[in-house]
Amino acid sequence: MSRRFLSVLCCLAILAVLPGTAMAAKLKVAFALVGTVNDQGWNYAHYVGIEKLKKQFGDQIEVSYTENVGAADAERVFRQYAQDGYKLIFGTTFEHMDPMLQVAKDFPDVSFEHCSGYKTAPNMGNYMARIEQGEYLVGYMAGLMGYTKVGTVATNPIPEPIRGINAFTHGLMRGLDESGTKYDPATLNTVVWLKSWRDPIGETAMSEALVQRGSTLIRQMADTPDASLAACAKGVPAIGYGADAVEFGAKCVLVSTIWNWGVYYEKAVKAKLDGTWKPQEWYAGFDQDALRLSAFNEKVPAPVREKVLAEMEKMKKGVDDSFLGPMTDQEGKVMIPAGQRATDKELYTMRWLSKGVNGKLPE
Amino acid sequence: MNDFAFLLSLTLKSSMAVLLAAQGEVLSERAGVINLGQEGMMLMGAFIGYLVGYLTGNAALAFAAAGLVGSLLALLHGFFAIRLGANQLLSGIALSILGAGLANFMGRGFIGKPGLRVGEWPIPVLSDLPMVGKAVFGQNALVYVAVLVTVAMWFALSRTRWGLTVRACGENPTAADAMGAPVIRTRFTAVALGGFLSGMAGAYLSLVFTPGWKEGISAGQGWIAVAIVIFSGWRPLGALAGSLFFGFLSALQFFSQATGNNVVPLYILRILPYVLTILTLSFAAALGRRGRAPAGLGKPFFREH
Repeated sequence: MSRRFLSVLCCLAILAVLPGTAMAAKLKVAFALVGTVNDQGWNYAHYVGIEKLKKQFGDQIEVSYTENVGAADAERVFRQYAQDGYKLIFGTTFEHMDPMLQVAKDFPDVSFEHCSGYKTAPNMGNYMARIEQGEYLVGYMAGLMGYTKVGTVATNPIPEPIRGINAFTHGLMRGLDESGTKYDPATLNTVVWLKSWRDPIGETAMSEALVQRGSTLIRQMADTPDASLAACAKGVPAIGYGADAVEFGAKCVLVSTIWNWGVYYEKAVKAKLDGTWKPQEWYAGFDQDALRLSAFNEKVPAPVREKVLAEMEKMKKGVDDSFLGPMTDQEGKVMIPAGQRATDKELYTMRWLSKGVNGKLPE
Repeated sequence: MNDFAFLLSLTLKSSMAVLLAAQGEVLSERAGVINLGQEGMMLMGAFIGYLVGYLTGNAALAFAAAGLVGSLLALLHGFFAIRLGANQLLSGIALSILGAGLANFMGRGFIGKPGLRVGEWPIPVLSDLPMVGKAVFGQNALVYVAVLVTVAMWFALSRTRWGLTVRACGENPTAADAMGAPVIRTRFTAVALGGFLSGMAGAYLSLVFTPGWKEGISAGQGWIAVAIVIFSGWRPLGALAGSLFFGFLSALQFFSQATGNNVVPLYILRILPYVLTILTLSFAAALGRRGRAPAGLGKPFFREH
């Protein structure tokens, strides 16, 4: 190696180190993502939030993220970030909860935020959007449009998708009642399970199987829009989940629910910058703009849109009917009495399927 | 379409990727070269097939490009395994990792962009047959291609002079060489053709089964193809049976959920193809299949001076 080459290398090395030291005063924020940022669903939605953060706070913060952080890697990734001086660390999937709790104990001055879980610590909070509100609205829309045979390609049988399915079905039955459509609760919403957050082959095959079995509307719930894409190819409309599926080519999608994580990320970063960060259990819906609905497909009639949007306005004002009783389970047992609403604890631990759902929770 | 016909149709659709890859592996292994790079070749084939389809909108071109990239990767394996006489298992596994990493890396910018969708291609008259007509003859073109490839592979290996040379190179390369057969060239040809089929198998997934590019789209089907080759006793028609069995198991788990009659618990159905793969691989020797493996399989050939 020539001497000149070595000196150039040294200069480069110094240049590379300089900005690092200069930025030491910035707040370093890190995210762990379970998939890749362009998965067209869950992780993409978090990424949109991350991008919003960068735009909002510019030079005040430095943001990093690591993709494909599964349960086995999570602790290592969190620990590495904490050791590298990151002061605000987000874990964005359910399986990050326990590893994060472990690391949080060892780094009391670092703030941790976990999405979609239920455990907290003095320096670890959690946050989640009330997706069931969106589910209720799109179910209501489907009911008003008279869909009596829905096929749902569901993900993992844990409380989050379960309450989504129940809220959807609840909204669906209300919509059908209001539009005066007769239906059979035993075959109203057929639910099949992928046992995975994403599985393109399974999503496609399940969606096609549901259409073949007579479903006239497909409810996508996976991180990827393949269930919707398959439905479109078979000439059946679908409903997107978590991000606007139309953006990814599913033109037949009537409407999509959209996670809007940026709202919470701004809040948390601002609190950390101001020195007021405290762990909390943040659980918000339309009232705090944590959720949105995409634009409606032109096939959704105007009166239906008006009714759905009116219901959304109610939610924005804090009136959430997504689990307003009476609600019964599949056997007809009353789970939520008339006039009452499910508590957050009930929502977080939900393990029953509502009347109108055709399918079982796989054990 | 009734339930039986639908299950049949889904079975065929679910088996074609492993069938193509398995035929490629049969050819390669009959020539004496184990190629564990199936998963990598399939993923690269899936990505390149998607990419060419996305850019040109031409399905034939997309499949050809996918096959070519599969061949190129297989030749890379061939260079190490045949030319340099390296450990074939290691070289193949490295190829799987390389292909998967390369495809994911190059594909990053393309996730979510709708590409080409190759639809069904019903055969006139036959697809109007009652019961199974639409299920069997109303499939996409690749299903017919894969079946033709199977028959051609069977014919070529067992009924042609070239097939005899391939088998000789796999059984006893030294004897084949003494008889004047070009061992190195034959092995390279078999490996490259096998790679071509694996590349097409990947493109089947990204253009037909679930159109579009996603990371890890093959979901382990490359490994299943390798297991099927052992399960089939290195025979093309056996590989067809094995692939259909795999396809049937996957179809059954989708179908039993959609119909709501979970005869076999879902968790069992979902892991069954993988469990059977492991069992096949573990007990290949005990099952007595090993006797039918080409005698020169996995052994590099060098002419003695």
